[in-house]
Amino acid sequence: MGHEIASPPAPLPVGRGEIERLTCLGDSRPHCHSERSEESLRGDEVTGMRERKEKHVSTNLGEVLHCEPLVSTWGTSVGTTDDMTDGTATTQERAMVQPIVSMREIDKRFGPVRANDKVSLTLYPGEIHAVLGENGAGKTTLMNILSGMYQPDGGTIELDGKPITIGSPSEALAHGIGTVYQHFTLVPNLSVIENVVLGTKTGFVLNLSKGEQRLKEVLTEFELNTDPNVEVRHLSIGQRQRVEIIKVLMRGTRVLLLDEPTSVLTPTEVEGLFRILRRLREEGVSVVIITHKLEEALDVSDRVTILRGGKNVGELGPDDIASAGRAGARQRIVETMFGGMPAAAETFQQHVATGKTLLELSGVSAIGDRGEIAIRELSIQLRAGEIYGIAGVDGNGQKELGEIIAGQRKTTTGRLALDGTDYTNAGVATLSRAGVGYITDDRLGEGVVPGMSVAQNAALKTINRSPFSKGFWLDRKAIEANANTLIEQFSVRTPSAQTKITLLSGGNIQKLMLARELAMDPRVIVCNKPTYGLDLKTAQFVLQTLRQEADSGKAVLLISSELDEILEISDRIGVIYNGEIVETFERAQVDIETVGRLMLSGRAAVAGSAA
Amino acid sequence: MTINGIDLFDFLTAILATGLLRAVPLVLASLGDVFAQKAGLLNLGIEGMMLAGCFFGFYAAYHTESVPLGLLAGMAAGLALALLFAVLTVHLRVDQVLVGLAITIFAAGLTGYLFRDLFGGQNVSASVRPMTIRIPLLADIPIIGKALFDRQLLFYIAWLLVPIFAFVLNRTRFGLNVRAVGENPFAADAAGVNVIQVRYLAMSLAGIMAGFAGAFLAVADLKIFTIGMTVGQGFIALAITMIGGWSPWKIAFAAILFGMLNALGDSLQIIGVNVRTEFIGMFPYIGIMIAMIVLARRTSVPAALAVPYARGQR
Repeated sequence: MGHEIASPPAPLPVGRGEIERLTCLGDSRPHCHSERSEESLRGDEVTGMRERKEKHVSTNLGEVLHCEPLVSTWGTSVGTTDDMTDGTATTQERAMVQPIVSMREIDKRFGPVRANDKVSLTLYPGEIHAVLGENGAGKTTLMNILSGMYQPDGGTIELDGKPITIGSPSEALAHGIGTVYQHFTLVPNLSVIENVVLGTKTGFVLNLSKGEQRLKEVLTEFELNTDPNVEVRHLSIGQRQRVEIIKVLMRGTRVLLLDEPTSVLTPTEVEGLFRILRRLREEGVSVVIITHKLEEALDVSDRVTILRGGKNVGELGPDDIASAGRAGARQRIVETMFGGMPAAAETFQQHVATGKTLLELSGVSAIGDRGEIAIRELSIQLRAGEIYGIAGVDGNGQKELGEIIAGQRKTTTGRLALDGTDYTNAGVATLSRAGVGYITDDRLGEGVVPGMSVAQNAALKTINRSPFSKGFWLDRKAIEANANTLIEQFSVRTPSAQTKITLLSGGNIQKLMLARELAMDPRVIVCNKPTYGLDLKTAQFVLQTLRQEADSGKAVLLISSELDEILEISDRIGVIYNGEIVETFERAQVDIETVGRLMLSGRAAVAGSAA
Repeated sequence: MTINGIDLFDFLTAILATGLLRAVPLVLASLGDVFAQKAGLLNLGIEGMMLAGCFFGFYAAYHTESVPLGLLAGMAAGLALALLFAVLTVHLRVDQVLVGLAITIFAAGLTGYLFRDLFGGQNVSASVRPMTIRIPLLADIPIIGKALFDRQLLFYIAWLLVPIFAFVLNRTRFGLNVRAVGENPFAADAAGVNVIQVRYLAMSLAGIMAGFAGAFLAVADLKIFTIGMTVGQGFIALAITMIGGWSPWKIAFAAILFGMLNALGDSLQIIGVNVRTEFIGMFPYIGIMIAMIVLARRTSVPAALAVPYARGQR
């Protein structure tokens, strides 16, 4: 990356507090730069950092975004360590570097759930810090406290060594703490530039054209070639995420929090994101990334904090990671996350099922929510005892396919048969009674009723049948007993069956949904993304359960965009592309590259390989 | 050319003039309501706020014989009810539909009671003389001249508010905040917008405008108060806001359309078409329903409309 001497800062992009930031520019004190172990850096990066910090050299990105004041503010903020930062800092001195943020013994409860139990987090300037943990470990809660969304019930937060309280997201922003939430916080029908200036405190009348040119440059810097005036709803998820990052950076963020930033991205987009994060690190921005993807955390971060059950269970600094090596670090993290229990994937016994056909779709077509043809003349035969994996890039008709089988979506052509009997457009209740279990990917939207308790949700699908209903009346005891059984069988972590379902983590809601469907003893089980957002252990549990169900003679349709898990447990694999199954494979015959190509380009790939 | 002894040109002028006049309270209330709805507040109290504007505006104007004071009193009454609405729905997060209906019913009761108590239920006129402005030359244009350019001051002000409100909504920081808060309050909050404050401000504006609309009706236009005199115009304004797709320009257009429908009904009676008054009176309402069926399905309602916001809840 080329470093140039920064020209006098150009006017800042749209944003708050430019003047006070610019006044910091005259500050020529040397700056602390030994925040990371040098072993973890490539040599050129180390030199680059020194150069930048001593001579106020800025990369282009920094110039466009922060025009230097970022580094200057940071310099003044670490004033207490000035005397030691003479450009020869060593690893030993790193211990003396003042953390930019330190959260100590943070407590947070939601009703009876202790989401954070004396959790501490120390963040140093210019590092990428991964917070790892399984679902419900308290990662997101901790971050929401730092971003001002939640108020902690106990504990202290220090910024640059001074205790602060963060009463609201706008206070967090004022402190230089910016957050990119898992569910993006852009207003879909506002333009990119409107989203970026939203919440900034400038004059009453918006002058968007003034900032537009600057924003265009920043967008280009972030490899985004969109018009700043285009509405955000027209952007892809990856693009939106970059807009989010730009939005908070333009507010003078020096602590960037990202919650599960990769869960919605394609592998290429993930690479792009990491490229950006590394560059930001060089600019001196401290990045916290919350994730449960271990490999990604190891790829990008300098330091790892591990949470489990709302508590700190471990931290690996750059030295630890460097000395343990990647494989060693991975092993240590897995052990810490899962309590010494290796989370190694169980090897599933796959086989070619010979059972009778339980579900048959022949020539089925359906219209999607936006009026497009979502499913085109699709045919599948699902046999007893097999797991049929539907592989495909999101948005190729997977959701609609699941909904058709569940009876939630009407077909326009074709036939749906269960065990030889016609059930075309029979409706949800009939299909459910006929033995179809459907596990939606939209947990809070259609999987459970957010306002109801765990017990009520567990009985929801069969609430109008015995034993839950006795004539006109509901049997509360039966409902609760049923929930307790399911909670125990599937080890759902909840304080009680009466707890509101939304107080549970995603993984535990997923377990409950799975438990509920399986309790109805369906013949055909359709799951859409059953492991989405789950940690390794829960995901394995879910997959294992599905395998067991198939082995006991049921037919399982596994829809997933995670090719790995499809390959792991499916007996047959169909690739869906643009609403069609373009190819079907027996597991033994699968060639990953072929599947990947088919997922990305459908029949064109077949034609291409045939030619 | 005449119809039943009435000059055709005069007839058209009358429809246009009446229509535009009838549209004024609708457009005033609607303009304010855009901000409420865009901020995520479904204000079913608008009818009550308008009615309170009528009564308190009339009361002040009756005693002071001053149009501006009447208007101010009307706006203050609207604002007071709007603040009540905001405290209950924004702060205490009570259901907006319930609070809105309660406010409307409350205002109907309150104004009816006070009118009987203070005026003995007798219809009296306020002796006010709203200032009229005749714009030279333009007022001489046939048909539209008299309807458009020989009106009272408030008539011009009302229509001038349309571009002003459009500007505030689309081109100012406050407008941007309002649009964000009604669409995704979580995002707005995360970006540092004070959601509660924005909703209070938007609601206040909506209340002031509803009060203004009521006061215009009772003080500047009819100069009398009768019990329940708004006869659903507040709700029509609410519908117009939606039909107009939350755009002040389209709202003005929709308001004029319904004003005209109203005026047409009146005029038909004048030229002696033999239909019952009540039947003609249904026209605008049927029009609203048709327009809602045709247009409202295509418009995209602010995503957070009628949804209370509380940070840090799950």
